[in-house]
Amino acid sequence: MRRIFLAKRNALLTSSGVSLGAFALAVAAVFFCLRLLVPNLFWGIFSPVFRNADFIATESHRFFSNFNATGNLVLQNEKLLEENTALASENQTLLQKETMLDALLGTSATEKNTATGILAGIVAHPPESPYDTLVLSEGTHAGIAVGMEVFAKGGVPIGTVSSVTDTFSQVTLFSSPGMTITGWVGRANLPLTITGSGAGTMSASLARSAAVAVGDSVFAPGPGMRMIGSVVRIDSDPSSPSVVLRIMPVFNVFSASWVIVRAMGKGVFSFSQATSTLP
Amino acid sequence: MIRVLFVVLSFVSVIFFPWPLAALLALACAFIDPMVPLAVGLFADTLYYTPQVGMLPFFTLYGAAATLVAFFVRSRLRAGSIRK
Repeated sequence: MRRIFLAKRNALLTSSGVSLGAFALAVAAVFFCLRLLVPNLFWGIFSPVFRNADFIATESHRFFSNFNATGNLVLQNEKLLEENTALASENQTLLQKETMLDALLGTSATEKNTATGILAGIVAHPPESPYDTLVLSEGTHAGIAVGMEVFAKGGVPIGTVSSVTDTFSQVTLFSSPGMTITGWVGRANLPLTITGSGAGTMSASLARSAAVAVGDSVFAPGPGMRMIGSVVRIDSDPSSPSVVLRIMPVFNVFSASWVIVRAMGKGVFSFSQATSTLP
Repeated sequence: MIRVLFVVLSFVSVIFFPWPLAALLALACAFIDPMVPLAVGLFADTLYYTPQVGMLPFFTLYGAAATLVAFFVRSRLRAGSIRK
């Protein structure tokens, strides 16, 4: 028996009557309704899609940015090569210069250090340390010995090393009570003996007839004459033939952080320290 | 078949491609069917429109405008070579 199959046809909606655009619009409307009515389901569906889209966008951007950066990388590479060549040449020049200086001076690093002085940091100054003393961060390991002279910035002599350990040393300043040094004062370079008065000040006794005024500079022997302070006051007693000069050091013990320690040879400073008169 | 591919591609481009490319594809699809730009615009706003921002759904509006222009052009050219 022959069966005849007839295609089912929707009387309201025929395939020829529905355009592609209308179908696309219907799909978009379905998604829109889905977002409005069940947003959680909608975002649950599209979250993985957006994640993949972000990944593709990132990878494609990275891929294309490689082509953009190639030119910059080539330029940067050339620049670095030029800098490397220049630095290598400069390094070679400096190495040769150092070799020549070593041959010319014939000194090792330790000897040079001794000749130019030992740079030492101040680890304690008054009031952390006893007044008119400094504690330095270098000791016998660096070549510091008792009696070496200590110079501040500008080559100003400030004191002598009074005690030393392996890694530390103590400096007694010229302003320490009992310290005496010889020096000069004024334009006429009048010789005088300077005595430490404590509290960072010094004093000296001079004949009344000496032409010394307030503001005159006071010098001490160093490498040449080194100004160590200035006269800030002159005390005179009518019954005494001499006057007392009050001297303020130019070296500010509170602001210094580094000093130079040098061996100047014994006797350059004829310093002496007062001893107690008690039995 | 190629028409269907173009329409699907315009929908996919809304998600995966930059918006200028999606807009270009939607406009190209307007020659296939005038309703496609509106559908693509509605789909784009469905995905990206946030009412809290307070802006208008511009993708849908622009798609509707493109659809109107496409209908107008087709009505003018109906006597010509474009036939169903």
